[in-house]
Amino acid sequence: MGKRCLGYAGIFGCLSFSLLAALSVGRYIIPFREVCGILASYTFSVEPYWTDIQYRVVTLIRMPRVLGSGLAGATLAMAGAALQGILRNPLVSPQVIGVSTGAAFGGVLAILLFDSSLATMGLAYAGGLFSLIAVWVLCNRGKGTSPLTLVLGGIIINAFFTALISLIEYVADPYDKLPAIVVWLMGSFASLSYDKLLRSAPPLLLAGALLWMLRFRISVLSLGSEEAQSLGIDVTRTRWLVMAVVAMVASATVAMAGVVGWIGLVVPHIARMFVGNDHKRLIPLSCFLGGMYTILVDTLARTLVEVEIPMGVLTALVGTPLFAFLMVRLIKDER
Amino acid sequence: MYFKMYSNKKKFTRKAALFAALVGISLCGGFAFAADTIVFGDQYGREIKLDKPAQRIVTVPIPAASMVMALDGTDEHLVGMNPSAKRALLEGVLGKFFPNSAHINSDIVMGEGFAPNVETLLTLAPDIVFQWGDRGDDIVKPIEAAKLNMALLKYGTQEDLETWIGMFGAALGKTERAGKILDWHRSERAQLEKAVAAIPQDKRPKILYLYRYGDSIQIGGQNSYFDYFIKMVGGVNPAENSPSESQINEEQLLTWDPDILLLNGFQSALAPDDVYANANLAGVKAVKNRHVYKMPLGGYRWDPPNQESPLMWKWLAMLAHPDTFEWDLRSDIVEAYRFLYNQEPTQEDLDGILRLPMNATAANYSKFLGK
Repeated sequence: MGKRCLGYAGIFGCLSFSLLAALSVGRYIIPFREVCGILASYTFSVEPYWTDIQYRVVTLIRMPRVLGSGLAGATLAMAGAALQGILRNPLVSPQVIGVSTGAAFGGVLAILLFDSSLATMGLAYAGGLFSLIAVWVLCNRGKGTSPLTLVLGGIIINAFFTALISLIEYVADPYDKLPAIVVWLMGSFASLSYDKLLRSAPPLLLAGALLWMLRFRISVLSLGSEEAQSLGIDVTRTRWLVMAVVAMVASATVAMAGVVGWIGLVVPHIARMFVGNDHKRLIPLSCFLGGMYTILVDTLARTLVEVEIPMGVLTALVGTPLFAFLMVRLIKDER
Repeated sequence: MYFKMYSNKKKFTRKAALFAALVGISLCGGFAFAADTIVFGDQYGREIKLDKPAQRIVTVPIPAASMVMALDGTDEHLVGMNPSAKRALLEGVLGKFFPNSAHINSDIVMGEGFAPNVETLLTLAPDIVFQWGDRGDDIVKPIEAAKLNMALLKYGTQEDLETWIGMFGAALGKTERAGKILDWHRSERAQLEKAVAAIPQDKRPKILYLYRYGDSIQIGGQNSYFDYFIKMVGGVNPAENSPSESQINEEQLLTWDPDILLLNGFQSALAPDDVYANANLAGVKAVKNRHVYKMPLGGYRWDPPNQESPLMWKWLAMLAHPDTFEWDLRSDIVEAYRFLYNQEPTQEDLDGILRLPMNATAANYSKFLGK
């Protein structure tokens, strides 16, 4: 117990450090002392020794972005770990069940028709929900819950919405709508404001809390359907509940920042290196690591060069070698 | 790059006479030869031959449609254009000047890009199709395969723009008119460059062109026409080392801290008020001093290279250096429109071109208001 507490304390320490580090760096240079002062002024009375612009950058630009990317990363990683558990397949991620693509289609359609961030978020949620219902219908209205059926249903929905996205790109004005669609599809937290965060945070927090509470059931389900049934778990209901929660995460993150891939696939594997396959511990650790990982990658995306590096590109560039390394390690261990 | 127009009449007459002698006068047939063959080169070294000035022109590149109309002084010979060009045309004054242009076919591309819809092109039976040459073979080969006359354009610099004007003039058989437009561009450019050369570096404002503003912010960067015109009018482009049209974040915008922000003309509804309303950018000099301007929309959007570019240079030069440059731009626009379109814009047209009331509350903009 003491060792576990120490572990969690370490994780909290790392998370706090990454938050502080992310708030301290950016394209606009602000001395660390000023950042600390601004943060301290949230709770203590501090005589301002910083400029108005520095205050705005830390509180209005960096803070929502760091909080949003952390929340998105944490929930995406939990969703990935949960999905890998219930489908007993280490290669699945929230993208596999088609919800991300459905949400992306909704967002892209909103950009084409309305050019309003509220509409983009609304239609992204609608697209995600619709694709989950479509997967449910494809799986014999929820009766077919074998991992294979669910993944195949997801692949069909994925392909369908990918085609619709291509169609929209095809008819979008090349000088007006198309650049916005392309940037949005590559994913970015650049436009994250408190308004957007407030619209996305409730479903993400709710989904995170549900996955946290379901971690025992997911752990049992990961042992196999028979074992779960023998332990009194309603396999069908639990699988669909987790699928619905994962869909909520995928839709909310797409609505918040466009399509951000790889986090739900890579982070659970990193967490597995520390705690193994036990989802009771894997899901909480994935939550913290996912948050830190995404904050780090987003900090790189907004800091490295003058222009923003698209989040989807960077998560893939960082994620693929990491995943390859993990795979090689796994093969070595199997020998 | 070259374009020329020459008469082959003599050569053809001789050949015709020889041929007629060989087959005998008994044929009693007449031989009709083109009085003037037009030959010109495109920007990719292709030679285009037309028997006579083009009567049916299709333009796939978006800025080309209004340029052809300006060169032609009418909309009678443009039979197909990009749907985006048509929208800009109907949104601006050209739709009013040439009401029939609303009926010009815009179904010439697949979707909204530049991939040609060859069946429509064949139906339109154009004498020549203008297409981009710098966007891959996939949009060029189908037109070649359809055996249509095609000239390829390259996007980017003022020199490219001047070459387009020459090519359009050659195709329409209006090289003299093209020459006048080129003279106008060159003389305005030379005058402006001479005046700008005297402006010391520290007096040159930082001007940032926003290619897109909204959920993402995209900028006009290196090797773009936006970069060209910012520097040409005596400004400094803080994004000169960044790839054009790439995304930046608000922090980067604060770091660059431009003196002037230019909002693109492609997003029709985007207005300076959208930027003023963003509290995150309240510290930017351009926002504090109300130097955020919407790019005008005349015969075409003034941001990309087009026939009206000299007017845009003057407009921006007056905003960048209000103490140095002073023209009666409204009169200049009227004069240019008489020359380009043979039309007389009204005061309301001028307000629309200069994006009033969107820009009405911006600093230094009262000089563009009507009397």
